[in-house]
Amino acid sequence: MNKKNYLNNINNSKKPFIIYKSNKGFDLFTNFSKKIILNNQNIIKFLNQKYMIKKKYKNTDLLIGFFGYELLNNLIGVKLPQQKSINFPKGIFYKPETKIILKEDLIYDLNSSHKVDKKFKININQKSYTKIFDKFKKKIRAGETYQIKICTKYKNKSQIDPLDFFCRLTKTNLAPEAFMIKDKNYSIISCSPENLINKKGLSISTKPIAGTLRKTKKINKTKALNFFRNNIKETKEHNMIVDMERNDLSRICESGSVKLKKEKTVEEYKDLYHYVSLVIGKLKKNINNIDIIKAMMPGGSVIGCPKISTLNLLNNQEKENRNIYTGSFGFIKFNGDMRFNIIIRSILNYKNISEISVASGVVIDSNAKHEFNENFIKAKALIDLYK
Amino acid sequence: MIYVIDHKDSFTHNVVHQFSLFEDVECDDFSKINKSKLNQASTIIFSPGPGSPKDYPLSSKIYKKFKRKKKIIGICLGFQQILFSEGAQIIEQDKIYHGFQSEVIVNKSSKLFKDGQKFKVGRYHSLKLKEPFIVENFDITMRCVISGAAMSFENNIDKIYGFQFHPESFLTLNGKFLIKKILSA
Repeated sequence: MNKKNYLNNINNSKKPFIIYKSNKGFDLFTNFSKKIILNNQNIIKFLNQKYMIKKKYKNTDLLIGFFGYELLNNLIGVKLPQQKSINFPKGIFYKPETKIILKEDLIYDLNSSHKVDKKFKININQKSYTKIFDKFKKKIRAGETYQIKICTKYKNKSQIDPLDFFCRLTKTNLAPEAFMIKDKNYSIISCSPENLINKKGLSISTKPIAGTLRKTKKINKTKALNFFRNNIKETKEHNMIVDMERNDLSRICESGSVKLKKEKTVEEYKDLYHYVSLVIGKLKKNINNIDIIKAMMPGGSVIGCPKISTLNLLNNQEKENRNIYTGSFGFIKFNGDMRFNIIIRSILNYKNISEISVASGVVIDSNAKHEFNENFIKAKALIDLYK
Repeated sequence: MIYVIDHKDSFTHNVVHQFSLFEDVECDDFSKINKSKLNQASTIIFSPGPGSPKDYPLSSKIYKKFKRKKKIIGICLGFQQILFSEGAQIIEQDKIYHGFQSEVIVNKSSKLFKDGQKFKVGRYHSLKLKEPFIVENFDITMRCVISGAAMSFENNIDKIYGFQFHPESFLTLNGKFLIKKILSA
């Protein structure tokens, strides 16, 4: 099949579809026979459903979609106060009937015009950001949190072609957990780098990232590693996340099986280096998918630590619903295997409003101006798509 | 059986995981204590957690009730919780240690570890013990090599032990050894 035509054809067909980064390229899922919109009530049933045990599974025997931030909070008993909301669904999963394997080089010709606004409005200016920052620093001094990520949101009114955005994004930033969803009334485009759950049989792993360095001609992988190792602030942040992920896996894994497989290594991507660890474990026999989701989500590395008290601090601070941001996208196979990422570096386009949320961490030695700018740098790769 | 009282921390299950290598461990949230498990337990562990000991009066109550009746261990906040219940003041420190590896040194008042022995340990604490702290049978047995802050105590008469650092952290190099010593004390 001519892949170029395929992407153009599917986009023109107006059928909803999902693209998710695979090892070698991308998987495209479409022809959805079922769409499940999740809420705080039906999620328990959704996660507890049993699938028929078969000898041989089809490559479409899975449910693919996302859990929003609010849904995941509610699942672990953390209540959100009343927030400004755009009434976007709390979570959506699809049952695909078709899976197409695509190469890494996505080819798509944009052939229609879209109304795209280049300007974005930010929901928290630097002054209010600094205020929140100082407040959270006091909370760190008092021991209520050890690390907390302040979220800022960029918004504009745009009608976008999500496939065009996604193809361009993968050219500049080919992230291992990249995905896009195009449905009738919304789309999501993401270059998430972070895998939260990889479960095969009783084996489970998580790959937290804490530490990002932009690539330049002068910096090679060894230099990047030295940069991270010599940066005490980055190292402390990373250590904290590693211990937190070990903790979350320990809740569901056999004792003695949780191991730090890769400790503080550098992974190289097209534009940046990430400081990454890999934690693995062997699931206890009586653990169900719902236990795994509750133990691991929302992913700690993008929230802060300790998880519960930090979530409460964030939720009481934030006036706007996070929607998909810091939720998880991925799939549950009918044989019980799962893969989920953390939804960061993403655009949600709903009712022709685009929103991009970003966050960076406050630890005891961080600086408000630096972190505010860091947030903008993270958003910029996505904002640049609107040019 | 060891009963871990969880102060809603993101490190508690590392503690559970580590102690499970030696004994059966049960763990409940501090606000949802299971009385029969608590009564059955031979050892109680007060977990790490956010905030300060004054935020957890229920844990202080449990400590006072079971002191001298069971072995009691405190880690990080748990360490402070025990000392606070003994009348100590827990205060903010100038330099804050979160996700920090530092060296601690054993002093001569320790019965479990060798005087002068050093350990590399992981630390996650905003608060510390205000000194001087003098309570009968309680000895500060390890200190931070650099700042001198109290890093562990032993009460070998009543079998009460505590670490300000995190023996379960991957930053602590001999965590298993430290735990084993205390459990067999």
